[in-house]
Formats: sequence, C-alpha cells, structure tokens
Amino acid sequence: MRIEDSAQSPNPRQMESLDTVGAIGEMPPSSATIKDLGPASDTPTQLNQSELDRRAMIQDEEPSLSPFRLSMRRLRRNKRAMISLGIVLFMIIGSFVFPPIYLHLGPTISGGPAGLDKVSPSQYHNYTNQQLLYIDSPGSAAYPLGADGLGRDILARLMAGINVSIEVAFLVAIFDVGLGLLVGTLAGFFGGWMDTFLARFTDIMFAFPGLLFAILAAATLGAAFSDKFGPPGRLILVSLAIGITIWPQMARYVRGYTLQLKEQQFVEAARTVGTANHSIILRHIVPNLFSIVVAAVTLDIVGVIIGEATISLLGLGVQPPGSSLGLMIYDGSRKITSAPTEVLWPTLTLAILVIAFAFLGDGINDAFNPRSKD
Amino acid sequence: MSSFLSSLPAVIVVLAVIAFLIFTGMRVGVRFLIRRLAGLVFVLIGVTFITFIMGYFAPGDAVLTQLGQRYTPERAAALRHVLGLDLPWYQQYFHFVVQLLHLSLGNSYVDNQPAVLTVLSRDLPASMQLGMTGIVLAVVVGVPLGLLAAVRTNTRYDTTAQVLGLILYAVPSFVIIPFFQILMIKLYQAGLPSLPVSGWGSLDTEIAPITIFGLGAFAYYLRITRASMLEVLNQDYVRTARAKGLPERVVLWRHAFRNAMIPLVTAIGPALAFAVSGVFVVELLFNIPGIGTDALTAVVERDFPVVQGAVIILALAVVFLNLVTDVVYGLIDPRIKTQ
Repeated sequence: MRIEDSAQSPNPRQMESLDTVGAIGEMPPSSATIKDLGPASDTPTQLNQSELDRRAMIQDEEPSLSPFRLSMRRLRRNKRAMISLGIVLFMIIGSFVFPPIYLHLGPTISGGPAGLDKVSPSQYHNYTNQQLLYIDSPGSAAYPLGADGLGRDILARLMAGINVSIEVAFLVAIFDVGLGLLVGTLAGFFGGWMDTFLARFTDIMFAFPGLLFAILAAATLGAAFSDKFGPPGRLILVSLAIGITIWPQMARYVRGYTLQLKEQQFVEAARTVGTANHSIILRHIVPNLFSIVVAAVTLDIVGVIIGEATISLLGLGVQPPGSSLGLMIYDGSRKITSAPTEVLWPTLTLAILVIAFAFLGDGINDAFNPRSKD
Repeated sequence: MSSFLSSLPAVIVVLAVIAFLIFTGMRVGVRFLIRRLAGLVFVLIGVTFITFIMGYFAPGDAVLTQLGQRYTPERAAALRHVLGLDLPWYQQYFHFVVQLLHLSLGNSYVDNQPAVLTVLSRDLPASMQLGMTGIVLAVVVGVPLGLLAAVRTNTRYDTTAQVLGLILYAVPSFVIIPFFQILMIKLYQAGLPSLPVSGWGSLDTEIAPITIFGLGAFAYYLRITRASMLEVLNQDYVRTARAKGLPERVVLWRHAFRNAMIPLVTAIGPALAFAVSGVFVVELLFNIPGIGTDALTAVVERDFPVVQGAVIILALAVVFLNLVTDVVYGLIDPRIKTQ
C-alpha cells in the first residue's frame, strides 16, 4: 500500500474498529506533510496512546476536542470563575461606558459657591467637580452614593478610580507578558548570559519585597514624572515600577516551562526537519505557553490592582484632583467617624474587584493546568 | 569612646552575624555558605545602587532646601562640596555605601539631624514589633489550620478554609482596616467594649494592627501548608507507614509533617513581602510611629535621605532574613547543600 494512496482515500468506516487494535496506522491528512518528512517506509506505523484515545472518542460519536477546548469547557463549568468573569467584565465595561451617560442623568440642583446657581448633572457628575453645599451629603437623587468631603460625587469618582485600576493593570500586564515571555523563553531556550542576567536581576528584585521598589520609585521620581507627562505621568511611573518588580517572576515561570517544552518530542521533531530556532520558539514553544501565561497574568493583576491602590493610598500615586480607589479609601478613612459610608464604597469596590480577579485567575489556572489542581 | 558607643549596635549586629556564620559553617559546610554569601554581595550592591540612583535622579536640590533664605551662589557651591554633591555619580555612590557602613546616610534635609539612620532607629522598634509579632502570629495560627485542612480534605471545614484563605490572601489590609474601624466606632458609640482605632504603645492599641497586619501572611501560610501537606500525604512512604500499621498520629507528625515543613521555610520570603507593604499601610491607617510613617512624612517633605534610609533598612532586613532562611533550609534538608 502506497502512502500517498491511503492518504487520499481515508479508511472506510467499518475499518476503524480494526485500526484501534493497532493493525494499521492512520495516515496524516495531507500528503504534503509526508513529503516534507522525507521518504517514509511502507510499513504501517505504530499507533501511540494519544492517537488511540482520539479514535476511541470518534467511535463514541463524540467530537474530538483540542486541549484548549477541553480547558475552556472546564472553565465554563466552573461557576465561581464564571460569576467572577461576569463581575470583572461588568466593572470594566461599566466604568468606561457609563460615565458619559451618567453626565446626563439626575436633576438640576442649586449649587455653586453660594448655592444660587443652577447646576446640571453634566457638571456635578464630573468626578472632579466640587459642590460645597453637598459636602458629606448622604445618597440622594443627585448623588446616588452621596458626596465626599470636598463635595464631589462618589459614584463618579468610583468609576474614575476603577478606570485607573484597570488602566494600570492593563499596562503592567502588557509589560509583564511582553518582557516575561521574551526573556523567559530566551533564557530557557538558549541559557547562557541571558539566563545569568535573569537570575541575577531576579535576585536583586526579590530583595525589594512587595511594593518597596514601587514606593521608592514613586517617592523619588514621582514629581519629575508628573512634571514631564502631566497628570498621567504618575500612573505611567507606577505602572512601570510595578512592572519592573513583577516581570522577573513571570520570566522565571516561563523559563521553567520552556526548559520542559524544549525536551518534548515535537520540538525535537521540528529541529530534525531543520526548523530555525526563532520559529521553533514562535511556533512551537510560545503557543504552548499561552495557557499558563494567561493564568499567571490574571493572578498578577490582583497584585497590580492592590499595588496601585496601595501606592495611591500612601499618597504617592494618583494626585488629588484625580481619582483612584486607594486615594478614596485614604480620604474616606479620615472621615470615618462622621461619614463612614465614604470609605465603605471604595473599599467594597476594591474588595469585589480584587476577589473577582483572584477567583477568575484561580479558575483559569485550574482549567488550563489541571496538574496543579489538588 | 563616644564614637565607639554610637557604633555599638553595629558591632553587636556584626558579631551576631559572624557567630551565626561560624555556627552554620560548621553545620552545613563552608562551601555552601561561601556560595550563598557570594550571591549576597551581588544583591547588596544591586539594592544599594538602585536606592542610590533613585535618590540621585530625584528632582529638587538638597542644597537649596538646606540654605533656604541664606542662599548665595558661593554658599551653595561650598555646601555642595561639603555634601559631596559635586562629585561624579560613581564617587557619590561610593560615598553612599561608605556612609551606610557607618550606619549613617548623611543628614536629613529637613531637620538636619546628624544621621538619617539614627532618626529612623528611633521609630524602628514599633515597626519591628508590628512586623515580627504579625508574622509569628500568622505562622503559629496559619500552619495548624492549614494542616487541619489538609488532613480533612474536601470536608466543609476544608472548603471554608480554602475560600477564606483565598479571600484574605487577595484582599489587602487597607480594605479590612476601615471595616474594623467602623465596627469599633459603632461599638464604642453603643457603649459596648471596643478597641481603639489608632495609636501605639499599649496592648489594646496593638492587638488590632498586629492581627490585621498578619492576616495576609496567615492566609498565605494556610494555603501553602495545606498544599505542601497534601503533596506529602500522597507520597509512597506515607502509604508505607500506614500500611505497616503505625498509628495515624505518628504517620501525620513524624512522617508527613516533618517533610511538609521544608517548603514552609522557603515561604517566609513571600510572607515578608506582605510584611513590607503592610508596614507602610498599617502604620499610616493606624497612626503608628514606625519607619513607614517616617518615610511617608519624608516623601511629602522631599527628604530623600530618610526615604532611602527606610527603604534600605527594609530591604536589608529582607535580604538578611532570606539568607537565614536559605541556611536554615540547608540545616533541615541536608540534600540541598550537595546540589
């Protein structure tokens, strides 16, 4: 039996039961791939276990699922993770879409410095707008969650604060994944000076535990950055500082998995047919790292959101006219005896956001890395 | 004599370090120790350099701040020379390290106190007490609860512990503190027994900050202990121990727990990470006079030597504790040193 022939005419259905016994090997779907592999012998190939498993599934009339699909299905069945995903999406989309709409909701109130002007929601629902008459006011039609110690709408500030958290998380995630993947795969694949560099750099960064480096950077360079880039300068600095502390862990993680993947047969096979190193990394190693990187970065985001809030809480991040959950918690905690709700709202928001991300990351990790399940 | 007295703490610390090194050198081998110390030197250079370079690039001129109204170009140049700020950066860095070895980081820009580290050492005890007690509590409570969760896998207790652990691990202390403070204020207003919401120095003011400070590390230890114990319980030697009919108590304590303990020693590193950011947040929100509060006040006043000093103290404490962890790891697991 010629290989090309059998590839063009797949086995008849009734033959499949024979195949699973291991009598005849199934041919790869396209003859082109076989030619790439060079002259193959005419003897039937031995079936391996995974191929047998796949056929067993076909016989049961179930569609065969790729590992990715299987993981997605596991994730979808994880109720806790799906609820968390819903909450995360609701908060992200809400905090970006709702503020412009919110500017048109609400009654016209009398405000201004002396309380004589008519103020429309497009003014007082701006998160920096102060209405001195409404300082520390409880919830009302105009201020659904009340106003803070400077007469600013708490709901508007909450949404602006979530925005900041998400923006920083997003920036750091890009930095984290980009640098972590780059250095991690290179260090794992080639070893050499890149590996030494990574090890040394990680050692140094580990000496700055938690947010110490970010606190130092924001404390010393914060003013310079806001002079140069305006209000977002601080955010950039904070993102950068958190990113610098966080990426070595990701790189180490990626490096460890790259070391494992490098020894796998498919990499060996790719090398046998003369694939260049860079395309082995891009085509064979990086796609296989996808799931663990996604799980790791979701869990990292928890730390990033807390980090940004901590730095803003300490007065080193977002500066006063701007809003951040950490800043709101600090402002609210000064008013804790007279107006306790002011600190409760940002605290609750942050807690929900962080717990949702943590559960989501945990769920993704369980779904994509079932080995680490127990 | 006075110079000797002022450097007495340094001498004691150095002597303690040397004694520790000799002891461990005898126990785990000199080569193991030398390799660890070589890595340490590199880390120390990195940490001091990063701290230095941040201050070097920080905006604001120390000379202008100190002279204030008395500014003349000549005075500024003279003071700049005295402070060594006219030197190139590598000489300044060298200067920085030399000063650090003398347990001084130059003068605070603001109140011109002679040595930054002296200023900080005034407030160090509160931070140390907060940090050490918090972590010890976290370990003492977290490890047994984690063990219990591992022994009773998949019971209601286990799931509760796991969810609670994840929540406490994820939620930072500054989310818990406001809830606690509001609760205490309500209790106080209702005339019920309550704890004070700020201050430091007596037992009733210290309980709450230390507990809240330790919660993150507690959750971390709970999770780590559970995971590590579960892994050990699945090992063959545990099955063997059970198969030969040992009482469950002996299996758990002598065979399983002793081996599960090894990863717990390395977990002190991440627990310290909680501790350091916790020092800043808990001190700020509870008004505790510690080095975290010092550093934050210094940031507002742009008093960078004090900020650098606080960062260096915290970083060095962590580096040193990590070294101790490493060596203890070598002590309890003899396989490590042969690697």
